[in-house]
Amino acid sequence: MSLGSRLYAELRGDKVIWAILALLTMISILVVYSSTGSLAYKLQGGNTEFYLLKHTIILAFGLVLTYACFLLHYEKYKIAAPYLMLIALPLLAYTIFAGANINEARRWVELPMIGLTIQSSDFAKIALVIFVAREITKKQDYIKDFNSAFLPIIVPVLFMCALIAPSDLSSAGVLFTTCLVMMFVGRVALKYMLLLIALGVVVFAMLYMLGELFPDYVRTETWTSRLREFRQEVEPYQIQQSKIAIASGEWFGLGPGNSIQRNFLPQSYSDFIYAIIIEEYGLLGGGFVMLLYILLFVRTTRLITKSEKTFGAMVAMGLSSLLVIQALMNMAVVVHLLPVTGLTLPMISLGGTSLLFTCISFGIILSVSKYVESIKI
Amino acid sequence: MASNIKNEVLIRVYILLFLFVAAAVLIFAKAIRISVFDGEKWRSAGKALVKMRPVEAERGNILTEDGQFLATSIPVFDISFDPNSSGMKEGDFDANIDSLAYLLSTYVDNSFTPGGYRDYLITMRNEKKQYVKIKLGASYAEKEMISRFPLFRQGQFKGGFVVQQKYRRERPFGLLARRTIGYVREDVPPVGIEGSFNYILNGEQGEQLMILVDEKAELWIPVSNYEAIEPKRGDDIVTTLDMELQDITEKALLRAMNYHNAEWGTAVVMEVKTGKVRAVANLGRTDEGWWETYNYALGQPIEPGSTFKLATIMALLEDRVVSLEDSIDLNKGRMEIYGKTVVDSYAHGLEKTTVRKAFEISSNVGMASLVHQHYNQTRDEKGNTIKKADQFIDRLKQFKLHLPTGIKIEGEAKPYIKTPYSTQDEWSGLTLPWMSFGYEVMLTPLQILAFYNAVANNGVLMKPYIVSEIQHMGKVKETFKPIIIDQAIASKSTIKKAQLLLEGVVENGTAKKIATDDYRFAGKTGTAQVDYQRLKNRTQISGYQASFVGYFPAEEPLYSCIVVINRPREHGFYGADVAGPVFREIADRTFASKIDLHKSINEMAKENKHYKLPSKSVGEKQDMAYLVKHFGLPTYGTAGSDWVMLQATAPDSIRVVTRKMEAKEVPNVVGMGLRDALYALENRGLTVEVVGVGKVVQQSIRPGTKLGNYKNIRLELK
Repeated sequence: MSLGSRLYAELRGDKVIWAILALLTMISILVVYSSTGSLAYKLQGGNTEFYLLKHTIILAFGLVLTYACFLLHYEKYKIAAPYLMLIALPLLAYTIFAGANINEARRWVELPMIGLTIQSSDFAKIALVIFVAREITKKQDYIKDFNSAFLPIIVPVLFMCALIAPSDLSSAGVLFTTCLVMMFVGRVALKYMLLLIALGVVVFAMLYMLGELFPDYVRTETWTSRLREFRQEVEPYQIQQSKIAIASGEWFGLGPGNSIQRNFLPQSYSDFIYAIIIEEYGLLGGGFVMLLYILLFVRTTRLITKSEKTFGAMVAMGLSSLLVIQALMNMAVVVHLLPVTGLTLPMISLGGTSLLFTCISFGIILSVSKYVESIKI
Repeated sequence: MASNIKNEVLIRVYILLFLFVAAAVLIFAKAIRISVFDGEKWRSAGKALVKMRPVEAERGNILTEDGQFLATSIPVFDISFDPNSSGMKEGDFDANIDSLAYLLSTYVDNSFTPGGYRDYLITMRNEKKQYVKIKLGASYAEKEMISRFPLFRQGQFKGGFVVQQKYRRERPFGLLARRTIGYVREDVPPVGIEGSFNYILNGEQGEQLMILVDEKAELWIPVSNYEAIEPKRGDDIVTTLDMELQDITEKALLRAMNYHNAEWGTAVVMEVKTGKVRAVANLGRTDEGWWETYNYALGQPIEPGSTFKLATIMALLEDRVVSLEDSIDLNKGRMEIYGKTVVDSYAHGLEKTTVRKAFEISSNVGMASLVHQHYNQTRDEKGNTIKKADQFIDRLKQFKLHLPTGIKIEGEAKPYIKTPYSTQDEWSGLTLPWMSFGYEVMLTPLQILAFYNAVANNGVLMKPYIVSEIQHMGKVKETFKPIIIDQAIASKSTIKKAQLLLEGVVENGTAKKIATDDYRFAGKTGTAQVDYQRLKNRTQISGYQASFVGYFPAEEPLYSCIVVINRPREHGFYGADVAGPVFREIADRTFASKIDLHKSINEMAKENKHYKLPSKSVGEKQDMAYLVKHFGLPTYGTAGSDWVMLQATAPDSIRVVTRKMEAKEVPNVVGMGLRDALYALENRGLTVEVVGVGKVVQQSIRPGTKLGNYKNIRLELK
């Protein structure tokens, strides 16, 4: 038996999702290698391979994590959910006040001993999604009720998002939207959800006012300036460069490694990597990547249709929504449908530990698919 | 119930899926709009903004054979600041702007106050500008200093510190040989070595990705260190020019130009054995005196006048139709020929004399009658016409006078020698006689010199050349060896006679007044009428051209030299009076400076001793002992240490004084040269700061002070 077919037999679960993961990983290595061309010159004296190696090692480690999470039965996550929340909340609080300042935002916490910085919200996001999935499935029988279902779910969500928002509004937005999506699919009453949106607005308004009082802790200034930029006639530099990249690619792209805009496009290896993908692989390549994310969501809806009530299906749906929403928002920024945020393209952007959490998400989704596949209808 | 729930879930899932797909379609549509519908606009914006632009390569140097720089490229730096560099952090800018502005206004641009500079930089940052000029044409040291300023020291990406290297051409010798070294400029034909060897000096342009930061000023700055194609440095050119001779030649020529208030002049010195051009001076009149405006030596064909008589007499000698002791009638310096008169420049009143004498006194009549007699069209017994002019012209061709020298510098003019009996060349019965004394023929000064050089070189015609080597990064890439154009332009006996004639000119002839007892040289004077238009209007004389061409020393010629001075207006016009002294001065000073030349002078008794005895000179014992011994100076006293001081005492002896230096004390270095002082002080761990040149006259730390308390010492030299 060849290695390939053995791997195929070993990797139970949704083969399509496995394929999506593999494709995204390969694309990531290609594009990151290309777009760090300029960055590598600047920081490492021309050693582009440094980033290639670092990124590949992180990806490889991430895939190991994926496999580990895939092996675990997804019910284990359900048990762990409250504990994860207990870790996430203080971590977030700590980050706001004492976290490392990278790229002007306090989103990071430095892990003691190993010196690795992680974005605590990445961890919190997964914890919250698992927690919400657990609550929704637990309360399925009285899910339309306000006091016993809606409230116990929404309070932790709001609390968590409020903690993330000061330093990373866009991540908080993605997370909040994901939770809404999960509640929507989990049959929570629509009237309460509308109420929730209203509440979200109120919380944001309060935060904004708080930011005016404590500008060091809440980045209201950046939010408003980004919004102002978005509305301006003259587009911000990044957007101009991003559009030049997209236009340069035309339908078929300039070819792998031929990006010119990577030299002018700030964050071409993370926030604006999608522009580089279109520049090098054309609109067709860009469309293909977009299709991969949509396909990921389609595959998780399949899980729901198979077992609509299970915690597993809900958590898989939640995690894939998290990825897809972030991916779509990232792309929307690149084509200037949304103001500039700090969102990366999940699974593709260069970005150390957040990549690891994406891998964990994939692992959990695959773990669920493994058991749902085995359900005979 | 269960199916209801399932339906509700499914409906909601599909609504969600629809929303996601809709969002994706929206995003993709926007991407298509950017890429397809607005594509042209963005692509041209990209092209206009970013380009591979040529990067100037460092131009090769022009050197002399002993390694002095005639032209060299000094790197200069255009420094600018990108206050919106993509890697710059808000905090970094804010934290450093005050000190940066202070340093910039103090060390770079005084027209700003620190506050003013600060406000300016902040404004530029807020206006999203990417280019703030800091300093253009900064030297390397200035660039290094500025690169250490706060913020700037973080480099281009994080600190917005943008440096563009350019090159400035420097000529360490200033105007010396300016025309020969030449230049390459836009919109002007290239000149001199720079121009002719541009393809070697130029190197290869590189290419670098650059971004347009100011459309109006067409200002491009490089994209970080992203250099796609490295420029290749140009190769160096080693010239044969000898700057000492060049200096001598130019100064001598300039003095004559001034004294005689002439129009233009040129002087060339060539090495006899090799054909190496050692000095080329060209001076043309401008509103502000005489400047190297045109390469007359190469580019200006002239009617050579009397200097051409050497070719005439050599042709006659080669054809064995005359011998030097033949008798000739000069008819008191006048001769009628086809109704025109040939007149000698110098009144001599001679009738019967020898051919040798006729040459030495530069008699036009003598040359014209000989040529007329031997090469004129005659009839034989049967009455047939015999044309013999070809014979004479063929001799000139044998001397290679019809060919350019082939020197590898742009702009050499071709010689002009008439084709016999050609109506196109307006050949007439008068052509040959007039050619015999250097009219109706055009040669450049360099071509005349090459011919005389061949005579000096016993008949071997050398190709004049000015580039002896091409070097790549200090290593020899190509060597140019002397090239023999013709092994023998004439028979041995003709050459020997020609040499004797030229020596005779100096000893007994027209150049007698510039002869010297110190050494012997040979040469020929020339005094030509400028714009001499015999055929059209014989009386039109607008001026003279004085020349002298020869070689020295006569016995074993080392250098040949030509001097041509056009239209001297004051203090005479004869070649011997105007050009001859320049030749003498060049030869004299060459003898004085080239030690190997004047053995005989060295052997003469040393008289005039004026030297200055050393006073309070300090140095190492061995060094001083060597000096004292070498100059044979009388000394007394003994040295009891490694360092000694020499002190002159009356009347002319020197006292040797012990100078003690303790290892752990600051030594007394007053009286030392800089090299010794640095050695003594730096060995004791002191950092030395130096002001002035010469010997140390003062030191900032008192001698005998214990080391350790001090790190720096300042020396004053005088």
